[in-house]
Amino acid sequence: MVEDFHLIELENVTKVFDGVNALSRINLYIRRREFVTLLGPSGCGKSTTLRLIGGFETPTEGRVLFEGADITNVPPYRRRVNTVFQKYALFPHLNVFDNIAFGLKIAKVSRADIKRRVGAMLELVGLVGYEKRSADALSGGQQQRVAIARALVNEPEVLLLDEPLGALDLRLRKDMQLELKNMQQRLGITFLYVTHDQEEALTMSDTIVVMRDGCIQQIGTPKSIYDEPKNAFVADFIGESNILDATMIKDERVLFCEREFACVDRGFGEMNPVDVVLRPEDIQVVAPDQGQLAGVVRSALFKGVHYEMIIDVGCALLKVHSTVMQPEGAQVGVSVVPFNIHIMRKYAAPCGGAA
Amino acid sequence: MSVRRGNGPGLRRSMFAAPYGLWMLIFTMAPIFIIVFYAFTIGGKPTLENFKLFLEPEFVGILTFSLWLAFLCTVICLVFGYPTALFLASRDLKRSAMMAVLFVIPMWMNFLLRTYAWMSLLEDTGLINRFLTFIGVGRKKLMYTENAVLFGLVYNFLPFMIFPIYSVLKRSDLHLEEAAQDLGANGWQVFLKVTLPLSLPGVVSGVSMVFMPAVTTFVIPRLLGGGSFMMFGDLIENQFLTTGDWNFGSALSLIMMALILISLGFLNNANPEGEEGALW
Repeated sequence: MVEDFHLIELENVTKVFDGVNALSRINLYIRRREFVTLLGPSGCGKSTTLRLIGGFETPTEGRVLFEGADITNVPPYRRRVNTVFQKYALFPHLNVFDNIAFGLKIAKVSRADIKRRVGAMLELVGLVGYEKRSADALSGGQQQRVAIARALVNEPEVLLLDEPLGALDLRLRKDMQLELKNMQQRLGITFLYVTHDQEEALTMSDTIVVMRDGCIQQIGTPKSIYDEPKNAFVADFIGESNILDATMIKDERVLFCEREFACVDRGFGEMNPVDVVLRPEDIQVVAPDQGQLAGVVRSALFKGVHYEMIIDVGCALLKVHSTVMQPEGAQVGVSVVPFNIHIMRKYAAPCGGAA
Repeated sequence: MSVRRGNGPGLRRSMFAAPYGLWMLIFTMAPIFIIVFYAFTIGGKPTLENFKLFLEPEFVGILTFSLWLAFLCTVICLVFGYPTALFLASRDLKRSAMMAVLFVIPMWMNFLLRTYAWMSLLEDTGLINRFLTFIGVGRKKLMYTENAVLFGLVYNFLPFMIFPIYSVLKRSDLHLEEAAQDLGANGWQVFLKVTLPLSLPGVVSGVSMVFMPAVTTFVIPRLLGGGSFMMFGDLIENQFLTTGDWNFGSALSLIMMALILISLGFLNNANPEGEEGALW
């Protein structure tokens, strides 16, 4: 589905607000029909990036390109992108039909066409029969759907979504994630999605862009980012993880917790300090004498699918997920296969780990 | 354990308004009944003569003139007030709250005092005429004209137009304007389709806060119009204080009240949101 054509490109974009860098030399491209997610904690610059593409901010330095043409200074109303705002921003003085028809009326589309296209959108988002309702009289989930319909009806090249599911409850959020993904594939529109929810990003995206402090940390498919995080920040942000101080002895040999481990990573030099990331589900709990490390269970919580245990191995407290519970105070051994020991460079300057 | 509510001894919420209720009863309701009584009687006998008297062209003329002047005043206040409110509420304006205060400061001064100040500026030997003479334009008759009255009305009531509009605009959601831009609206279209309709509650309350006092005022036309441009408020005042015809004065007061109620109802219908009008 994704075409190898760079629909939008950010070139060395820097944005300064009141002397503080909200974005530092960002380089990013988005391909046609791609579902790209900007992921990061609040204040990482993801929303600013979206607003730059929407036209609500102008970069302090750098350029924004659309189909290869410079649109850095083109106002929002002349860009072929539409936005679904975080708090929906539905027009309170208009009913559902007029909210969705807003862009078409501005574009002077004929009455009959407006009726047909708004009708098709209402069907798409499942709100047929709600035309005359006031936007205020809808539930959060329904307002969300109107906001999406209002943007999509203009047939934008790119749909920008700024944490669109943030205000919904968990159940509704999960349903909407699937619906949005379906819509994107069916309509063949490029989506640029902003969220701080890593699970949402992993579920929906073709490509995830992890950001921190105005810098891009890593760009990749959900699987590659989860399996091979570039640094401890990414590892910690994408899913739960244990991050330990370690020393890379040489290729495929790493030292932590006063013990040498086999691993599969190469190219980190010799005797260099690194971070080791262990995913909780990758740590195996075995009999006390059969593990690579010995420890004591400090706590065990039932989490539904699995138990979450905190195991004290002396040098660290490891978070471990297992379907078998060990009681608090039990003596256990833990082991990790070489493939699941992820080595990463220490996180240095804000943009140090950027791709 | 249960908490007793409502019908226990002690204070009930409904009682909190009792002092004001009593005040209203004595000083608002009772006078209204007295006025109704006077309006429909002469010498204690029921009659409609007082209302018939009002139909004389002279009095209808005064009412029409008052309505016309108040209407002009409201339109001028709106024309000057809306852009001012828009400017004050603008997000690019640094220290807009301080600017807003600058616009209220004149309201802290007694309005009689301000009107007297204008008299000394506008009079034949006043500052403005001296300046006009100085630059060679020559003396103009400024005081005791219809325009002086209109000017006085606008000057005194303009803040009442600016503030309701300002407070509605100030609270407006920036994201709505961005959403409109996002959907293809340029600056002018954003204003016409989003900013203006959403500020209508402020406009409605501004219009009523200017129009009503402008119709009823009697001090401004007296001072700046010199009594030659009588407005409805002057007419009522005259009946009570000069002529001593309380019956006719009461009838005129009732007519004015009816007019105000009708225009209020009309304005509330024009207000799409109803409850959002600021300051009301």
